[in-house]
Amino acid sequence: MEFGAFDMDLTSEGAAELRPRGMQVTKRDGTRQAVDVGKIVRAVERCADGLDRVDPLRVATRTISGLYDGATTRELDELAIRTAASLIAEEPQYSRLAARLLSVYVDKDLRGRGIFSFSQSIERLDSFGILDSRLTEFVRRHARKLDDALVPERDRELELFGLRTLYDRYFLRDPSGRHVLESAQTFFLRVACALSDEPNEAIALYELFSTLRYLPSSPTLFNSGTHHPQLSSCFLLDSPEDDLGAIYDRYKDVARLSKLSGGVGLAFHRVRARGSRIASTNGRSNGIVPWLKTLDSSVAAVNQGGKRKGACCVYLEPWHADVLDFLELRNNTGDEARRTHNLNLACWVPDLFMRRVESDGVWSLFDPKDVPSLPDLFGADFDAAYEAAEAAGLARASVRARELYARMMRCLAETGNGWMTFKDRCNATCNQTAEPGHVVHLSNLCTEIVEVTDQAQTAVCNLGSINLARHVNDLGFDFEELARTVRLAVRQLDAVIDRNLYPLETAAASNAAWRPVGLGVMGLQDVFFRLRLPFNAPEARALSREIAEAIYFAALSASHELAVERGPHEAFPKTRAARGELQWAHWGVAHDDARWTALRDAIVRDGLRNSLLVAIAPTATIASIAGCYECIEPQVSNLFRRETLSGDFLQINRYLVRELQDLGLWNESLRSRLKEAEGSVQGFAELPEELRTRYRTAWEVPMRSLIDMAAERGPYVDQSQSLNLFLESPTLGQLSSMYLHAWKQGLKTTYYLRSRPATRIAKATTTLPSTTSAPEDVAAVICSLENPETCEACQ
Amino acid sequence: MSALLDPGFRLTLRPMTYPGFYERYRAAIRNTWTVEEVDFATDLVDLRDKLSPAERHLVERLVAFFATGDSLVANNLVLSLYRHLNAPEARLYLSRQLFEEALHVQFYLTLLDTYVPDPDARHRAFAAIEHIPSIRRKAEFCLRWTNDATQLDALRTRDDRRRFLLNLVAFAACVEGLFFFGAFAYVYFLRSRNLLHGLAAGTSWVFRDESAHMAFAFEAIATIRREEPDLFDARFADEVAAMLDEAIACEVQFAEDLLEGGVAGLSVQDVRRYLEHCADRRLVALGLPVRYRTPNPFPFMELQDVQELTNFFERRVSAYQIGLTGEVAFDASF
Repeated sequence: MEFGAFDMDLTSEGAAELRPRGMQVTKRDGTRQAVDVGKIVRAVERCADGLDRVDPLRVATRTISGLYDGATTRELDELAIRTAASLIAEEPQYSRLAARLLSVYVDKDLRGRGIFSFSQSIERLDSFGILDSRLTEFVRRHARKLDDALVPERDRELELFGLRTLYDRYFLRDPSGRHVLESAQTFFLRVACALSDEPNEAIALYELFSTLRYLPSSPTLFNSGTHHPQLSSCFLLDSPEDDLGAIYDRYKDVARLSKLSGGVGLAFHRVRARGSRIASTNGRSNGIVPWLKTLDSSVAAVNQGGKRKGACCVYLEPWHADVLDFLELRNNTGDEARRTHNLNLACWVPDLFMRRVESDGVWSLFDPKDVPSLPDLFGADFDAAYEAAEAAGLARASVRARELYARMMRCLAETGNGWMTFKDRCNATCNQTAEPGHVVHLSNLCTEIVEVTDQAQTAVCNLGSINLARHVNDLGFDFEELARTVRLAVRQLDAVIDRNLYPLETAAASNAAWRPVGLGVMGLQDVFFRLRLPFNAPEARALSREIAEAIYFAALSASHELAVERGPHEAFPKTRAARGELQWAHWGVAHDDARWTALRDAIVRDGLRNSLLVAIAPTATIASIAGCYECIEPQVSNLFRRETLSGDFLQINRYLVRELQDLGLWNESLRSRLKEAEGSVQGFAELPEELRTRYRTAWEVPMRSLIDMAAERGPYVDQSQSLNLFLESPTLGQLSSMYLHAWKQGLKTTYYLRSRPATRIAKATTTLPSTTSAPEDVAAVICSLENPETCEACQ
Repeated sequence: MSALLDPGFRLTLRPMTYPGFYERYRAAIRNTWTVEEVDFATDLVDLRDKLSPAERHLVERLVAFFATGDSLVANNLVLSLYRHLNAPEARLYLSRQLFEEALHVQFYLTLLDTYVPDPDARHRAFAAIEHIPSIRRKAEFCLRWTNDATQLDALRTRDDRRRFLLNLVAFAACVEGLFFFGAFAYVYFLRSRNLLHGLAAGTSWVFRDESAHMAFAFEAIATIRREEPDLFDARFADEVAAMLDEAIACEVQFAEDLLEGGVAGLSVQDVRRYLEHCADRRLVALGLPVRYRTPNPFPFMELQDVQELTNFFERRVSAYQIGLTGEVAFDASF
């Protein structure tokens, strides 16, 4: 025992009273051994090379202070990881340290189970019958080459949150003992092999994944190479026909899609409204709410392999006579029989409605039974049919358009749900709607997919996202590297279409014809931090637009290349691209330069392998694996807690911490103030204004600029973007202005409205104020920093 | 003499004497939640498959305490605070608090019904206050202070007001500020280990409510201090210190009970240090000098201090506000 040597150093942690003299741990073989601080310190030190700001001794002593006599060595290892993690808010390098400790723990475990290489991991998994035979044969055939391609040091690229997420949820386990049988590197290589025909191709993909330059979406990561390879993220189901059997068939469709990790969008425009007569029984319908209540229960019952719950978003057009009930579905008061806490809600809004809101006109509500054609019409045809129905006196009720609009805004503010998505714009700009009879009826669970559906076609989309943060070098943003990444990514997404298991016939049919993919991005905020650009600075906006253009160009080129190799997708002649109309043509943008002209001519001549290519998904989970900020979003806070199924994690802005360390300002008092200020630095007068501007949060960047940036990206996004909007304490005036602006800018869809809680949890861990000032003064200061305009207490 | 503690039953809201209380009432309304929103689905799996016997013991004891704790607070609210805080705006807030306490009782009731399916075991859990010494001791602490205040039918003398003030402090600083804060720490510990999301989700909403209750009580105390500073004399400081020492002792005994099986990452010494750390914060809120000077030993409590961002795929978002004001407009800035 070597404790005596450390006693002197421990006072700062207050650990002197915790001398674990005589404290023992239980080893895996059941024998007991005295706790050895020195051994723990050395184990931590081995993981700390290159991490100049971490203190291994501190991790070791704090670990021991939480231990009880007789704890197991496994508990000791886990506690050391948690202890390192607990120091992240102070020094972000502890995240890397904790990740490395976890990686060592995983390796130790795998070796204990006789797994020393990639091919051994695959063999072991295969012995439980959970892998696809194509994969196991591929790996057997190329075992040596693949084993040699694996780079164990790449584990060091991962942050704790990323590796923890992989470990808890993505790595494959043996079905009975639930032991993890993969490491981060064997996992990436397994996914790469499952999506490739040749070992070189697999290794190139592995390089892309393991350097975190690009990651496929979660279903692809979850299921690649397994015997149930459902690899798609999104499914879009047209509204069931207005018929009992059709509605129950749809529940089953939704359940089968959810079970295998898909997120589902479901339209409900065709189902008759409350009070509508039912011919067979001569009764009256109860409208859509009871049907959605049943769907709600069904969705909650589906558990996606224990990994996450089923998720479904219901779309409704606001002319449906039940729209007011629909907007109440997520309220947390009222009759539970009319509430659906598990469903997400979105409004599929025609332009005519927005025009009537603007002109303060009247809006008519219809029973779909009386106007069955409306869901299948858009643009001028919709306007004409809607107005004809009004003239024919078919309306069930009418409301002031602004009153309904206010209800929609209220739903957004109170529940975050009721996403505003624009029907006419989605249809007018969609590559698949060139010919009559092809209609987009809804977007998906995350509002970034825009594809046609009908009763015979369920739209499907496979997603993947480029980590922009890994495309910055010393010279700035690396567009050449980006183009290389896009090419590989598009080929991978295209391969998924052929290897995918389709849970529904209608999905297989649709994907065979259209072959859409959704390539997105993440880490835009990281790029701006690294290049020291404020989020909405003119240079940042220009760069964001250029990146979007570069991705679209490279994606079209890659899909054209695939069309030349393997032929265009079946429905290509029916697309707008076949007529030389690319996405930017719908945004009033002209590209007459030689580069674009040559590409467009080549596409018209040879076709595309994929009808749609770009969709900017929210990337919540894969961004955390990659350790970057989500999709195109500004950071939510410089310091926040992320709740996930893997437990809660503290996220701190490591770019900010590094800059403050360089300025000599990163200390306990500043950390404490940062926490009190909910992660905002705007009130810190000692920081240069320029720095404060760069480290604004999503609550502090003007929403107008986020919407405008999305519109500037629009000409290069042939599907759509999951655009979250943030308002601390929204008013009706702000919301109605903001969504009108989004519509006028031509956005196809918007996503969550995020706001903040009205009261907060008392802080338990911030530093005590040095004086005994009255507590309400502190509250007043915080509140004016956080919320200078709307805080009522300060008026 | 403190106007807030004036004996009587003031009814007029305008002009409003204490607008701060009314604002707290409004803020509380905006944070309405319901038990039905809490999803217990994964808790049962965790209880069955993931918790060690020592951890299951911890959870059952803890929930047993919660189930009675909020009722004790509600009783004191009705028997003491509502009677003696003589301002209609303060009583508005207290009415809302009473609803929230009932909601918390309902939450822990639902939780115990879900966690403990066996009726006999369930009865035993609900009877915790009778037969588990560590819970009984905390309940006695509460009841003693409530009983003391119920003997005051009106605050006529300085001594009456002093006794009421101590009742207020006992519940804000000790019951809500230490017993509940201590109990919340166990829940956050479990959550930091990825266990019992339903318990954690509901508890963080309870925590948010309790934080507001405590802030209200401290604002009432600060108001009394402004109105009648000489109530806050050396004797008061000594009595508060003794009260906190006793509350910490009660809570440490509870910790010894909860942790008797050994839980890695939670030691009784660390719990004591955490309570001392919290007690210092209560003293500061009361305008009294700190007593323990103990740093927070629980890094996982830092997590709850930080604004949450929930990935909707994974959990329900608990951060939305209720209540939207204003008119439709097209020229507001955003």
